[in-house]
Amino acid sequence: MDTTFEPKILGMLCSWCAYAGADTAGVSRAQYPPNIRIVRVMCSGRIDPLFIARAFENGADGVLVAGCHSGDCHYISGNDYANDRITSFGSLLDFFGIDQRRLKLAWVSASEGTRFAAVVSEMTEELRALGPLKLKV
Amino acid sequence: MATLIEDQLRARARTLLAEGTVDLFVGYRQGSNPLRVVPFVARTPAEAERLVWNVVCVPNLAGTLLKHAGRRVGVTLKGCDVRSVVQLITQHQLERERLHIIGVTCRGMADTDQLAAIAEGPVSDITEDGDELLLSVGAEMSRHPQDNLFLAKCAICTSQTPELYDELVGGAVPVAPVADRRAGVHFLDALDAPGRLAFWSEQLSKCTLCYACQAVCPLCYCKQCPITLPRDDPRKQARELTSVFSYHMMRASHLTGRCTGCDECERVCPENIPLSLICRKIEQDGSSR
Repeated sequence: MDTTFEPKILGMLCSWCAYAGADTAGVSRAQYPPNIRIVRVMCSGRIDPLFIARAFENGADGVLVAGCHSGDCHYISGNDYANDRITSFGSLLDFFGIDQRRLKLAWVSASEGTRFAAVVSEMTEELRALGPLKLKV
Repeated sequence: MATLIEDQLRARARTLLAEGTVDLFVGYRQGSNPLRVVPFVARTPAEAERLVWNVVCVPNLAGTLLKHAGRRVGVTLKGCDVRSVVQLITQHQLERERLHIIGVTCRGMADTDQLAAIAEGPVSDITEDGDELLLSVGAEMSRHPQDNLFLAKCAICTSQTPELYDELVGGAVPVAPVADRRAGVHFLDALDAPGRLAFWSEQLSKCTLCYACQAVCPLCYCKQCPITLPRDDPRKQARELTSVFSYHMMRASHLTGRCTGCDECERVCPENIPLSLICRKIEQDGSSR
């Protein structure tokens, strides 16, 4: 039996850029690993760090937050808030000894289908190397 | 034994309540034993006689104030409590105009766990005498230098004199050079990630998700909390380490920029988890942004 570890990634994508970017990836038939499960949010600024903590609690090995490039936010500055929050939560993860690479923040525009595929592939490879998130005693 | 500060506080509370300047006066009263005080709300001048002030007045009264937001409240606060009140005013949870703050200068508060440990038997009285504490156990009295008995948070305190008050009680207190506030954080930062994970796994595996840290926190003022699990939630009953980790991470992230470092969470933790480390960490994150 093949025992390669397949990480589970939760992707929280902003409706206007990253989610459309994922759609573009599909339409243009860009190949990326099926490890990601996508949740669409209206803006990356909507993502409270507690969603991320809950994702890890409920079995995700990694969380990908993706939104519009800086300056392109549909709601003007939501992605800048997201940047602050996710960066600071990453530092908290690190403080608790959880590898920061499990939380990734990426900026993907609606036309960057190949970039989305590359981000997901890269993250999956990284998490495969890191192994599952083990927090059991 | 009534101290000078205690007399002054009672007199002021009496006057304020009698004049009608305030509806309530928030302070401490004697608890179930001499090492315990509990928050107390005096509503009449006569009740003001029950107010106490001593070296174990540790609980943060900012949380009690929050319950009486909207009324005119007189309150006695130490420097650390004032920090929380200032933060609550900034967050529009309290109105400055409705508060009458009697600031008390503070050299530090005694660590009751340590006091109980050095006393041989139940303590019947505790008094301050200059730099020393007099502990009475039955008829026996022992003297202890106060400096060794301060709480850990008092060793790194820079708020001996409150930053905000309407009147100040207590003599001037010299600002002592403080130890490194973030020594604990630096210690953890020096470890590698698996080391930190091991440290927190060991500490947090003691957590029973009792949420005392959240209940006591004066800056946790949401009416409904999205991060605590209801009593009948299977995740709360299973108490898996993932749930405990995520609770503490969510709490920390929600308090970033709010926490004033009163360390009440650590004081009330029944399992003695070093929660103040998390407070120092978010303090560092908040200030570096």
